[in-house]
Amino acid sequence: MKKTMKAFAWTVCVVVLGMFAMACPKKPKPVTPEKIVTDTAPPVVATPPPPPVETKVENSDFVQEKPVQAETLPADIEELNRYAQSHGYIQDAYFEYNEAGLSADAQSALTSSANWLKGDGKAYSLLVEGHCDERGTEQYNLALGDKRANTAKEYLATLGVDGSRIRTVSYGEERPFDPGHDDSAWSKNRRAHLVIVGK
Amino acid sequence: MRKLLLLLFAALPLWAQTQITTTMDPTKATSVLRIAIPQPEFTGTTFETINSPLFKPLTRDIAMSGIFAIAPLPPNVPITPEVLQRINAQLLLKLAIRMEGEDFVVEARVTDTTGQTQFGKRYRGPLAALTRLAHMLASDLVRSLNGRPGPFLSQIGFASDRDGHWEIWLMDWDGGNQRAITHHGALSILPSWSPDNERMVYTSFARGTSDMYVINRRGGGRIRVATGLQLNTSATFSPVSNDIAFVGSINGNPDIYVIKDDGSNRRRLTNSSTIESTPEWSPNGRQISFTSGRTGSPQIYVMDAEGANVRRISFDGDWNDDATFSPDGEQIAYTSRVNGRFQIRIANLSNGESRILAGEGSNEQPTWSPDGKWLAFQSNRSGKWQIYRIRLDGTDIEQLTFTGENKDPDWSKKSD
Repeated sequence: MKKTMKAFAWTVCVVVLGMFAMACPKKPKPVTPEKIVTDTAPPVVATPPPPPVETKVENSDFVQEKPVQAETLPADIEELNRYAQSHGYIQDAYFEYNEAGLSADAQSALTSSANWLKGDGKAYSLLVEGHCDERGTEQYNLALGDKRANTAKEYLATLGVDGSRIRTVSYGEERPFDPGHDDSAWSKNRRAHLVIVGK
Repeated sequence: MRKLLLLLFAALPLWAQTQITTTMDPTKATSVLRIAIPQPEFTGTTFETINSPLFKPLTRDIAMSGIFAIAPLPPNVPITPEVLQRINAQLLLKLAIRMEGEDFVVEARVTDTTGQTQFGKRYRGPLAALTRLAHMLASDLVRSLNGRPGPFLSQIGFASDRDGHWEIWLMDWDGGNQRAITHHGALSILPSWSPDNERMVYTSFARGTSDMYVINRRGGGRIRVATGLQLNTSATFSPVSNDIAFVGSINGNPDIYVIKDDGSNRRRLTNSSTIESTPEWSPNGRQISFTSGRTGSPQIYVMDAEGANVRRISFDGDWNDDATFSPDGEQIAYTSRVNGRFQIRIANLSNGESRILAGEGSNEQPTWSPDGKWLAFQSNRSGKWQIYRIRLDGTDIEQLTFTGENKDPDWSKKSD
């Protein structure tokens, strides 16, 4: 009895193994040709192929995220401003001392802002605040801040943002962003500050 | 009154002569009279009640008048001609105060060394009016001597953030009686008096943009003057009409404009692509000073009230602003940057010479007292912006504000 049981067990094992062995060759088949291809490919393709593949992945990631972001733009206007500023959708333009002209950096900041304002942010209106550092006088700086705010507004308009969506206000040196009294603080305080004000 | 005045003037040279033999500066003896002021006599009230609202501000005003010097009396000694002679007092001011119901009746009498009355006047008012009464008495006393009132009843408008927002405030000339006249709950700055001392024009961001407002000195009757322009800063009443000069802007081009106080008849005075700011009228209303960046750095210019005949006034300093004419129109005070620091500069308009009223910290926005003998200005010398008052010769500087930060002083144009 024991012998027959053993014999049966063995035959089962053999049959099962045989079935497994028969099944196995079918799967490796597509694998091996691939391996052969890749084995021969490396010397020819070297490194160039991976980068195009990687950038494609990144692009598709970005494209995928975009609609998600548009859907979840904060409804609260203050949160939206923080969100849009931290993601670089709207960027402030910074100025040189006692100047209202736009530097290359200021132009690029406003270009990014214009792109968003014409795209996902096209429903929103904008307030441009003109600010100055504390080294001037209060009354002249109010006028200087007005010039800065309007320079930024005009540039956004030339980039295709409808000027009727943009209001300006000058705070002169009344509302510094950095209360410090050094170059670092002053450079932060000389700005056209972009504020989303609603739809 | 006129008779008393004449008497006083006639007596002046005599006093001056006697002073030459004393240690007193003979050049000052002709203009400074030594006056003894004993404690008031009173019935129905106490010295404590009248001391700080009446006696202290009165003696301070008289001491600051530049016309009188107070001759200190020895304590607990009956006042006799001999005592007055010993302390070199040329005048004696005696105050008698009595109650009539809720009113204090204050009788003031000034006698000379011969016992003759040179000034006599009676005032009446409740406790709340005693400080104003003191300033009025001091002002009348100065007027009796030189024909023009002292600045003691004048008011200084300013902006203060002490209640959490910048609002427009008023105070007496000595910093007393500080009170808010606006309650926008929003940035409100740069007040400027009307020539009759009844109204102020200022800028507020109450609607999110900077607008021009006019309000009366008691905080009522507020109106927004719709200019149709942006900025609406540095607004200032004409001394001779209902016009208001201000900085208006179209598309980021700030220029000087004039508009009537009802918002009609707007006119543009400057027409340049650079920044123009900070207009101020000459006392006769025929000229307007302003700041322009047309040469690159902000400098002071003067033009006719119609905008013609522009000429540059400031040549020292790489940033000049806040120009304001003296009450006689002969000088101009402005903020001038010297060695990287803002200082008050006083320039003589006829010969172009100027001098600096040097002080610690940054010193900006000078404004003349109505008698032209003082300037108020703002300084951050204490680490915070506060308002100070200084005599034109740089002496007797006094801090007038202490709570929160305070700036943009504008002294009323009339003394009373």
